[in-house]
Amino acid sequence: MIDSFPYDSWEDVATTFWTFGPEDSTGTYILTVLGIILMVGAIIYWVWLENKKLTAQAELLRGAGGLPPASPTAPGPGFAEPPLAGPSTEPGP
Amino acid sequence: MTSSLASVLSALLAQAPTPEELQEQINLDSLVLLEVFYFFTVVVMWLIHVGFMAYEGGASRRKNLMSTAMKNILTIAVVTPSFYYFGWYIYGCFEHGGPAEGHAGPAEFPGFCGLTAPWSAGMAGNLESSLTGHLSLVFFLAFLLFSWTTASIMSGALIERVRLSAYLILAVVLGSGVWIMDAAWGWSAGGWLTTNYGFHDSIASMVVHGVAGAFTLGVLLNLGPRIGKFDAAGRARTFRPHNTHLTLMGLMLIFTGFYGFYAACLFIQSTVFPGWLNIYLSPTTLGTIAMVITFGFAGGFTGGWIASKGDPFWTLSGGLAGVISVSAGADVYHPSLAYLLSATGGMLAVWSGGYIEKKLRVDDAVGAVAVHGVCGFYGVLLVGIFAGGFPTGVNNVPTSFGGQLIGMLTFFPLAFLPGYIISWLLKKANLLRVPPEVELEGLDMAEFQQDFFPEFERVPEVIVLPDGQEVEAAPILLEEYTRTNGHRAGAPAERSSP
Repeated sequence: MIDSFPYDSWEDVATTFWTFGPEDSTGTYILTVLGIILMVGAIIYWVWLENKKLTAQAELLRGAGGLPPASPTAPGPGFAEPPLAGPSTEPGP
Repeated sequence: MTSSLASVLSALLAQAPTPEELQEQINLDSLVLLEVFYFFTVVVMWLIHVGFMAYEGGASRRKNLMSTAMKNILTIAVVTPSFYYFGWYIYGCFEHGGPAEGHAGPAEFPGFCGLTAPWSAGMAGNLESSLTGHLSLVFFLAFLLFSWTTASIMSGALIERVRLSAYLILAVVLGSGVWIMDAAWGWSAGGWLTTNYGFHDSIASMVVHGVAGAFTLGVLLNLGPRIGKFDAAGRARTFRPHNTHLTLMGLMLIFTGFYGFYAACLFIQSTVFPGWLNIYLSPTTLGTIAMVITFGFAGGFTGGWIASKGDPFWTLSGGLAGVISVSAGADVYHPSLAYLLSATGGMLAVWSGGYIEKKLRVDDAVGAVAVHGVCGFYGVLLVGIFAGGFPTGVNNVPTSFGGQLIGMLTFFPLAFLPGYIISWLLKKANLLRVPPEVELEGLDMAEFQQDFFPEFERVPEVIVLPDGQEVEAAPILLEEYTRTNGHRAGAPAERSSP
């Protein structure tokens, strides 16, 4: 029976037990700071990684001699169809 | 025989609980009921985010599907920790406008404020049998789901050209800062707008929806429209969603999740009649708000359908707009009143959505500013008209039109300015929007290097012109690219200079 467990004798330990220390303890502060560092670091990493990907892709598209079609007609990834835009050797407007 | 009966009875009486023990059992059952109730509101509210993802994914073009969906998924990754470390503390400690002084901990602030610090006992596993002990965790989780919702409202408006990382930064600011600040001021029994002016927004018409819409408007002004959205004369074209069925299913999932949202906005107090309190600790019932949300959908669908002349997207969006329009007064409205008011809300969303797109020339991809922003503020205004005099907050200040107006005038700049300023800073750092070449190609190739419908043949993208004619999109998009970037697609920018 669940109510036959020695709950009273466990309660004091269980109520105050936290890994690395109870509330308002150094261990809890350290965990909080580490969590905030991970959160901020992850956001900075997202910004950096995405910027790198987008810049590379934009340079690839410009360097390929023209933009890919805005609505590709070939299945699968990549640009099987010639770009709708003219080659980069064409003069600008 | 008599003696054996007497001995049995005396044995039973000896085992019978005392009134004090019975009361203790009742209190414990009440607390367990409370914890279970909020836990399941959280589960149901997850559907809102499933719905947002499906809704926005379906509304995007095929080439932007995964980048759109990832925004909704990663909202959870960034808003959860930021709300835990900062947002909940703002709600607990900023009720009077500014922060409480000093170190925030249970010892220094024995009330709610101290318990919202991330290192307090109430913010981790504990066995304190009280409302402010382990039960504070389910309260926190319910508010966290509100935070995800608030950030996700912005998400759909920005699709197909915003950088994922820029959106995540904005989501943190909105979901863990802006909205919870306004909740502390006007969506708590002790908030200064509540205690001073009787501000009343019981199921968060404005504190969630309106504020998210105002913040989103600020962002959209800096983000700009998608390439090809407007022609040279400023007339709006329409991009065809790649999967309208997915969008409509997403909306239905959002509607389902809204029942959890509504329920989570109440306090359950099962040992005291009537058992339920609104966010301002005034009595109401679960049935009252459930009737209003249901009639709100009915009226909203009707209004959206009438105003849009049967357009499926706006008919369903009208349902959401209708509910948002009556949420502020959901604890006091009669079902018939909710039906009538929500019908006007559904119409307002359609008309204001058209105005924002065609007159203001703001490209809001899913109508979030109209549905959530305009109707959120409208809902608060309606309470001032139709529920004036209702006592609100711990000191029972009567709700009034003036009090509602003060709340609106407070919350619009609180939401709009951070959205505008932060997106402006991101724009200046060239971190707000994807490069135009990537936008034309589709974000999925740049972000994930793959197409997410590999077994389905691609067909030419189409676009609907202002006159209703549907044509192939590519020539128009490339022409718009040339017009907005000053050089032809494929020609380096410096070569286009004279």
